[in-house]
Amino acid sequence: MSKVDPSSEGTADVSNEKAATPPQSAAHTTRRRLIIFAFWAVVVALGLPHWQARLDALLNVHGDASPYHYKVSPAADRSVSPTVLLQLETDDSDSGLHYTLDPWSPTVTVTRGPITPGDDDLLASQLHQVMQQIMVDEHASIALLLRDSPLQTNFRDGSAFTSRFESLQRRTTRAFKPAPSYHLTISLFSGGSAPSSWDIKTATEQYISPLLSALLSISNFTVDTQVQLHASISPAIAGPTFEAATNTWTLLATDLSGFVNAVEWPLSPGIGSGSTINLILYVPHPRQMPLILYGGGNSWIVPQWGGVQILNLPSNTTSHLSAADLEPVMLTFADQLMSLLGVPDSPSSLALRIASLQRQRTISLVLSASSTLGALVRLTRKLQSIAIPKTVAHSVDLTISHLEQACTALSEGNYTAALTSAKVAEAEAEKAFFEPSMVGQVYFPEEHKFAVYVPLLGPMGVPLVMTLIKEIRGLIGRRKGKVKVG
Amino acid sequence: MHLSALLSLPASLAFLTFTLASASPHSYTEHLHLLPLPQSHLHAHFNFTATTPLSAYESSHFRYFPRSLAQILQHTRTKELHLRFTTGRWDDEAWGARPLDGTREGGTGVELWAWVDGEGSTTVAKERWSELVNSLSGLFCASLNFIDSTKTVRPVRTFEPEGHHGNAKGGLQLLHGMLPHEVVCTENLTPFLKLLPCKGKAGISTLLDGHKLFDATWQSMAIDVRPVCEGKAGEECVLEIQQSVSMALSIPRSMRERHDPIPRPARIEDVECDESKPWNGHDTCFPKALTGEPAWTLSKVFGHAAKGACDLERDDQAFDVTLEVPSDRPVNATGASELTFPSTTRRHYRLSASSSFDLSLPAHSTPLGQNSPPSPPLYATRQIAGHGQERGSMHTTLRNPHAHPLTLVYMETLPWYQRPYMHTLRLANGKQEKMYYTPALDRKRGTHLELVLTIPAESTATLTYDFEKAVLRYTEYPPDANRGFDVAPAVIRILANNESPQFAGSYVRTTSLLLSLPTPDFSMPYNVIILTSTVIALGFGSLFNLLTRSFVLAEEVPPSPLAGVVRRMRDLVKGLLGKNGDVAKDEESSEVKDGKTAEISRYMREETKGKANGIANGDADLRDRRARGSP
Repeated sequence: MSKVDPSSEGTADVSNEKAATPPQSAAHTTRRRLIIFAFWAVVVALGLPHWQARLDALLNVHGDASPYHYKVSPAADRSVSPTVLLQLETDDSDSGLHYTLDPWSPTVTVTRGPITPGDDDLLASQLHQVMQQIMVDEHASIALLLRDSPLQTNFRDGSAFTSRFESLQRRTTRAFKPAPSYHLTISLFSGGSAPSSWDIKTATEQYISPLLSALLSISNFTVDTQVQLHASISPAIAGPTFEAATNTWTLLATDLSGFVNAVEWPLSPGIGSGSTINLILYVPHPRQMPLILYGGGNSWIVPQWGGVQILNLPSNTTSHLSAADLEPVMLTFADQLMSLLGVPDSPSSLALRIASLQRQRTISLVLSASSTLGALVRLTRKLQSIAIPKTVAHSVDLTISHLEQACTALSEGNYTAALTSAKVAEAEAEKAFFEPSMVGQVYFPEEHKFAVYVPLLGPMGVPLVMTLIKEIRGLIGRRKGKVKVG
Repeated sequence: MHLSALLSLPASLAFLTFTLASASPHSYTEHLHLLPLPQSHLHAHFNFTATTPLSAYESSHFRYFPRSLAQILQHTRTKELHLRFTTGRWDDEAWGARPLDGTREGGTGVELWAWVDGEGSTTVAKERWSELVNSLSGLFCASLNFIDSTKTVRPVRTFEPEGHHGNAKGGLQLLHGMLPHEVVCTENLTPFLKLLPCKGKAGISTLLDGHKLFDATWQSMAIDVRPVCEGKAGEECVLEIQQSVSMALSIPRSMRERHDPIPRPARIEDVECDESKPWNGHDTCFPKALTGEPAWTLSKVFGHAAKGACDLERDDQAFDVTLEVPSDRPVNATGASELTFPSTTRRHYRLSASSSFDLSLPAHSTPLGQNSPPSPPLYATRQIAGHGQERGSMHTTLRNPHAHPLTLVYMETLPWYQRPYMHTLRLANGKQEKMYYTPALDRKRGTHLELVLTIPAESTATLTYDFEKAVLRYTEYPPDANRGFDVAPAVIRILANNESPQFAGSYVRTTSLLLSLPTPDFSMPYNVIILTSTVIALGFGSLFNLLTRSFVLAEEVPPSPLAGVVRRMRDLVKGLLGKNGDVAKDEESSEVKDGKTAEISRYMREETKGKANGIANGDADLRDRRARGSP
């Protein structure tokens, strides 16, 4: 303290009892500012762009997926003419208009009174009405499919079907997602040790195979069957209650959703692609026979999973179920299978119903493929650092070209080709979205990179920032001082 | 079940005969064989066999054959499958030959081998094998998917197909993989039981309880699928699945009460001392070796009795349980009908569908060793020798206790990071007849070594070779790297030989080994990052400060705002202390209750006063000096 240089104290404000830094030469200050500026220039001009470039190097965004504009031509009489055959018959005795549907082929037989010349306009409008009546269900379904999509405006009078939407919605939620192939597992679950065998081979050949061959235009099917003994009802539900009055066991409607014992029953899904449709025949333990459903019926559907049916046997000792025993069971299974696949309930012709399902499938596949593509684009925009492999780009190209093909085929009325293209498009879009190398990156947090660099950049940044702040504060202080002096 | 055939054959072959004889379409049989072993152990062998006609299998109509397994086999074109889950060690010095000649057991952990239809291409076979292990992994909740190309070998002589493959045999390819590290437990037993028609709810499978099974000294769960064409020319071939559980239980251990499962040492009064030992004294007790067999009941050994029978179309002469004890030993069986056969050592029981079955045997004092257990074909041990982290050597001892030479196949699969030096391979006291060797490729393939050896009568052969330990990449180490890496057991198959036909086809497996590899310090990369960053930041900071700061004297530095805060805090503390002094003064003036307290208070007060004075003086001093300094 005693060696304080008086000259340096000269300008200090003694009355304030505060020390002050000695004045610095202008050259010194400029030099210091230049140094700080140089450092910051390096950081701003080189460091940040390099950091950004590193992130950009990982970025390989595929071109913008523009929304597709495809036309869906409504099922009017003109376009479905190759799909539905209209047969006109005249009946002199009856002047009214009737129509009948062939249950196996897409043929509509229209009967009306004798045709007089000049009746053409009336006939045409009558036929059109018939077609509209037959196709009303399909119209409504397609309107529902397109309801929330940007294509809604392209579809005529979609709002006319809003009243049907609720029942259609129920049908859609029950049905399996469209897939190129399904695996059908028919299982016999016995509560006790009997019955342990069934004549399933004959029964499936007789009742299930014809239906599956009719459905081949939509999907491929593989079938397997199994017998499982000592199958107990899931412990998750309250279980059947005994009604002493009727001497029966009753299962409440609330128990049905948890009836299938997923933990113990070996219902592993099939290997390979495609979902598994489970059809279960449950024979209760002799102790719990007869087992009935509260409110009647003996079968129910588990949406997007399968169907369950309860069979009460007249005798406890039956150890074998013959093909004749299985007939009602198989008919119920066929019904359940139809609704699980989303086959519409009307019109009454099976061929028309399947053709209608084919068109609905095509549209939903096209919608799903394009929404998957949209999701992929959104994902790549959100995660800028995600690397996109070549295979994904290739899949996206394939999806787009097949979507275009599907739309062309749809407008040409070539529905089988449209479904085939739509299936390919959907499969490729899913493949692109679930590319394993990309899925891994979605879960790679950006923070990991920072965790490595922070120990270096943190300690280096602190003096840089502090000096800058100090310098700026000094500048401001100086200017204020100057203003005051001025 | 042909009893005459069964009884005329050696005990070990009984189950195989059983299944071969009953190969009819859609059949199911189950059987439990109980045999007391020396040293208070009990061997229990559960066997469940189901068959399905090949036509039903191909058209996917399943009855007793489990669908979940069948669709995996169909999808991967696997024609014959052998899967083993094993824990513990079979003590062949005490218990003799292995059950069923070792054909239904595996090495420690998981072992899998299968004949896959590769359609003439090794690549196709390997792809299907990979699908097979992945699907089985899901079905059995085991890490079978870790059997990748580095753990898969293609044995030449060690395994032969058990089934009848007819003309298709030429296109089949054998692949074999082992997972010695896998811990077999309840999660593997549950799917195993689910494959059974009665699912552990009726019949002998109710005895299988994870708590008892995995507490056993040794246990092996096996699944064997093979096509069988035993019948006459017109008869259809069947696909057979044999599920078996073989276990050696310690009777005293499994009889322990359930509510008190903690093992405690027996009280000294209850221990029988071996007085022949020289160190036996009033305070030293060497327990006598266990000679007899304690009393046991089936329900206590397995936790509960067997509930009912898995009654599926079986004939009247079929039986579920066989107990192999001398005929003079009293046995009390409940809930089953005992079938009488002209047999001296075996009792057969047929379970009844409605009641539960239990067996109880009183303690047996006469030593079991009177008719000592059948001697095993071979004693085999294998160790890793050597020291250091760079090299080691493998040391296998094969002892032939018989009066005739033995011919055998010795198969070893080594992980790629254990690189053997084949030029150091030495066989002492034996003859090497053939050698099949596939060298390892780093990260692609493990070493596969098969040797055909002949071991002379009553002699011990020693096989040794040196190996090098590889250094793995940082990410290749498991989380418990310092535990070591498991090396799969060696598999030994006894070949048919003119002098020892009775052992042909038996298998012996050594125990698995632990290989310790050089293990790095895993925190190193982070340490390096942090240290380097610190050094760089330090250097940069100093340099930057040198360049940009101006250096002035300490007095010239304007007081920082922080210093103001510190001073305020100091004042606050000072004020508080001052208040304390006031309190003390009050106390003193009013009443001196405690001389000591007063003393301390006074001292504190004086000291704070002094300090305050000092500081005040110092300030004054400084002010003076400043005044003087400035003109």
